[in-house]
Amino acid sequence: MTFVNFSLIAGAGLVVLPIVLHLIMRRKPKLLEFPALRFVQKRHDRNRRRLRLRHLLLLLLRAAAIALLAFALARPSVKFGGALGSQEAPVAAAMVFDSAPRMEYRHDNQTRLEAAGDLGQWLLGQLPSQSEIAVVDTRLGPAAFQIDQSAARQRIERLEAVANSQALTVVLEKALRLLGESELTHKEAYVFTDLARAAWPTDSAAALQDRIIDVPGVAVYLIDVGVSDPTNYALGELQLSGQVLSNRSSLVVDTELFRAGPEGTRSVELYLQDDEGNPQKRSEESYTLASGESRQVDFRIGSLEVGTHQGLVRIVGQDGLAADDSRHFTVEVRPAWKILVAAPQPAERHALYLSEALAPAVFRKRGQARFDCRVVELDELSEQSLSDYSAVCLLDPTPLEPAVWKKLGDFASDGGGVAVFLGRGAGKIASFNVPEAQELLPGKLLRQARRPDGDLYLAPRDYQHPVLSAFRSGAGSIPWAMFPVFRYWELEEPTGAVFSYSDGRPALLERPLGAGRVLTLTTPVSDRPDEKPWNLLPFGEAWPFGMLSHQMMLYLVGSSEQDLNYTAGQTAVLQLDADGRRRNFLLTTPGELKFPLSADPQRRVLVITGTDEVGNYRVQAGGRDSGVDRGFSVNLAPQQTELERAGEEQLAEVFGPLEYRVARTREEIERDISTGRVGRELFSPIILLVVIVLALEHFVANRFYRVK
Amino acid sequence: MSTAEKYLKPEVINQIKRLDLRAQFIVKGFLQGLHASPYHGFSVEFSEHRKYTPGDDPKDIDWLVYAKTDKYYVKKFEAETNITGYLVMDLSRSMGYTYRQELTKFDYSICLAAALCYLMIHQQDPVGVLTFDRKIRNSLAPKTRRGHLGNVLSLLANLQPQGETDIAKSLVQVAAMLRHASLVMVFSDLLADPEPVLESLYRLRHGGHDVILFHVLDEAETAFPFGGMVELEDPESHRRLALDADAFRRDYLAEINEFRDTYRRECFHSGIDYVPLDTSMRFDTALTEYLVTRSARG
Repeated sequence: MTFVNFSLIAGAGLVVLPIVLHLIMRRKPKLLEFPALRFVQKRHDRNRRRLRLRHLLLLLLRAAAIALLAFALARPSVKFGGALGSQEAPVAAAMVFDSAPRMEYRHDNQTRLEAAGDLGQWLLGQLPSQSEIAVVDTRLGPAAFQIDQSAARQRIERLEAVANSQALTVVLEKALRLLGESELTHKEAYVFTDLARAAWPTDSAAALQDRIIDVPGVAVYLIDVGVSDPTNYALGELQLSGQVLSNRSSLVVDTELFRAGPEGTRSVELYLQDDEGNPQKRSEESYTLASGESRQVDFRIGSLEVGTHQGLVRIVGQDGLAADDSRHFTVEVRPAWKILVAAPQPAERHALYLSEALAPAVFRKRGQARFDCRVVELDELSEQSLSDYSAVCLLDPTPLEPAVWKKLGDFASDGGGVAVFLGRGAGKIASFNVPEAQELLPGKLLRQARRPDGDLYLAPRDYQHPVLSAFRSGAGSIPWAMFPVFRYWELEEPTGAVFSYSDGRPALLERPLGAGRVLTLTTPVSDRPDEKPWNLLPFGEAWPFGMLSHQMMLYLVGSSEQDLNYTAGQTAVLQLDADGRRRNFLLTTPGELKFPLSADPQRRVLVITGTDEVGNYRVQAGGRDSGVDRGFSVNLAPQQTELERAGEEQLAEVFGPLEYRVARTREEIERDISTGRVGRELFSPIILLVVIVLALEHFVANRFYRVK
Repeated sequence: MSTAEKYLKPEVINQIKRLDLRAQFIVKGFLQGLHASPYHGFSVEFSEHRKYTPGDDPKDIDWLVYAKTDKYYVKKFEAETNITGYLVMDLSRSMGYTYRQELTKFDYSICLAAALCYLMIHQQDPVGVLTFDRKIRNSLAPKTRRGHLGNVLSLLANLQPQGETDIAKSLVQVAAMLRHASLVMVFSDLLADPEPVLESLYRLRHGGHDVILFHVLDEAETAFPFGGMVELEDPESHRRLALDADAFRRDYLAEINEFRDTYRRECFHSGIDYVPLDTSMRFDTALTEYLVTRSARG
């Protein structure tokens, strides 16, 4: 606390006046003769105590009024940051700039980042000389003090939006840590922000609050360069029907078009790059959106050739923020996956449900089936060459030769997928518990569990596993209970459960094997109509079964795990083919820069870390005809372009009990900084207090010494 | 101004003389029942006729007059009795107190006593005076002569209330002095412990005396009109107390009312007439009111 007129605080000494008056100059009471004193005497003691208390209260009020008046005239002020300081003392200042892509929002012919830069330059000139200044933006990396003011000025001039911007809470915490290292007593953090909701996540607030407490005397100023009512069109994240597709299926691209500002009409276009890399418009839709409305945007593209396809969806025309007007995507199209389905005799009949689920007859006739199923009898497995297939399904396997198990194991180790649907054929448990079979199976077969009442069904709890990814959106409303399971195989010490039955025992189990993987369903999907079924999964409107078998196969053939679309800053990992002979690749960035890349031969993957640039990346090796031509896309994370502003409640939650100041204009900043450094004058509240005390004194005096 | 004029103003006399004290004084004989009076030698002398008014005892109607005039008249009598009245005056220092500097409690008591004395002498009743402080100081034998009023008043007027008092002891002395059943009229502020005073009053009553207790307080003692810080001094004991009068008023009034209530209750139980008075009340009005009440009680 500081005082403008410190000498006047001595006036507080005048409190002795009422005390002296009370003690020494006490007025002598009027002496009166009164014969009935005996009646006074009786109650006098109690009254005397009460009287003393009232005197004391009055004395205190009078003394308090004088002391407060002296205090108010001394013009005290408090500094909310803590440390004492003056306007001209050097400060340790951290200037934190939000450099998220949404700061590119253009208003009054100036992006928010440019506006922040201008204010920052001005503020830099206001800082006392000898100040330590750090200019920090929200890109990854450590914070450091600039050498001098001119270095800080240059740093501000070079500010630009970064695609993988960090949250301001994280960067501010980093900046405060830096300020804590400074030996200057006066510390200030200026945060240039558009106060977007996404920039101030509350989940990292605790660390920030701890840091502010750790750095004593720091004053935090939020300099708001945002626009309260932005006008913008925005595209949401792209939802692809798949990142790895069969050449027989079509690509569906879903996204959302959002409007902030008044009603307007915009067209959304979808482009696909041709062989030369030039975008070719494939589809266009026009939408009229009211203020704050969002609309679903769907594009469907059929007959894509085998290979890597890249494209973008974009909004036609200009708006405030360009960064969220286009989204890129990459898909890989492969020939229909060949699936070998081995079933007991008669194989065709046993395999009917599965093969119809994977490749429905309607689609087969049109040539649109995603999978190409070939059905063989179990006995034929030993003669089959598995290398032509992406996955093998064993339907209700009977005891197999160890050599066949081994063959399947090798197939899986080389990257193939094996699905085992255990059923009545596994009667001879011993033959399934041989080491060769156990290489693939997730545990030893124990016994058949019977639940003839029909009260048992598949009961996935969470839908995190890729096999269940397609069910995620409808989780909770999938009618698993309509497809009861009457019998299944219990396993001894099973491992790798993907999901369980409603009694908690595992239903689908996964076992990784070499580069491939094995999925085991402990109940069959191949019951013949004339047999008493083990379950009703494939019967009736069995769409959950259809989806499940589809997802299992996609998982086994490796489609669902290949990620070709990333957000900026993520590490891109491209799976290479099993036969991958090539080691060296050439990466072409969206900005047409080319970098050589080396593959990781052990993991057969290509790892690309530099994904800061938004757009389509291309990875190539060899010539155009026989070489490798892959690609992936990088988009902005949705929160990087969300313009919705944080409310006061959110900021209050982020900063908790700690004080911060929000300023928009230079005048507000000046006033806040002045208040922050010199403090807030307490004259008015203290004078108010004096008035209250005097009023109380008046009341008490009148109450106790009423004049008749 | 003669003593009698000072204390007996004509309007007062006129106010009270119409009241027939006889009705109160002959309680033991004539009006209270048909049994023989304990007092011998009284006579009833016809005084005048008066028109009957509702409320008069019908047996007082003079039927002869009715027969002659066809109108109701009641006979009025002047009674003579040998009942003896004693005016017992408190001479304590506190009786000389006055807040407004107009009429001390003692003066007020003398006024009352004079009026009563006049009434009784006017009715041929002998009246005596006794004064006391710590003991009986002065006494004047009861007489019925008209000139006796002057003697009584000159005695009272020459007295100065001063010194301490012992009401209980003095009343016991009074009781011992009186041989015949008398009407004892005590004038005091009763500023002493009530228990012994009440004891002595019971004793008087037990002696067959009719007792009227005129409790005379100063206006300040009943209303506590002080304000601000005051220091109060007892004129008798000279004790002093400083206090905040405004804050204390309520407590004081509660205390004095309780004190009066104690006397009122105890006197009622023992058949003593208790007349609480203060100097702000017009004493003639107060006396009239009392006598009317007493008359109504019969």
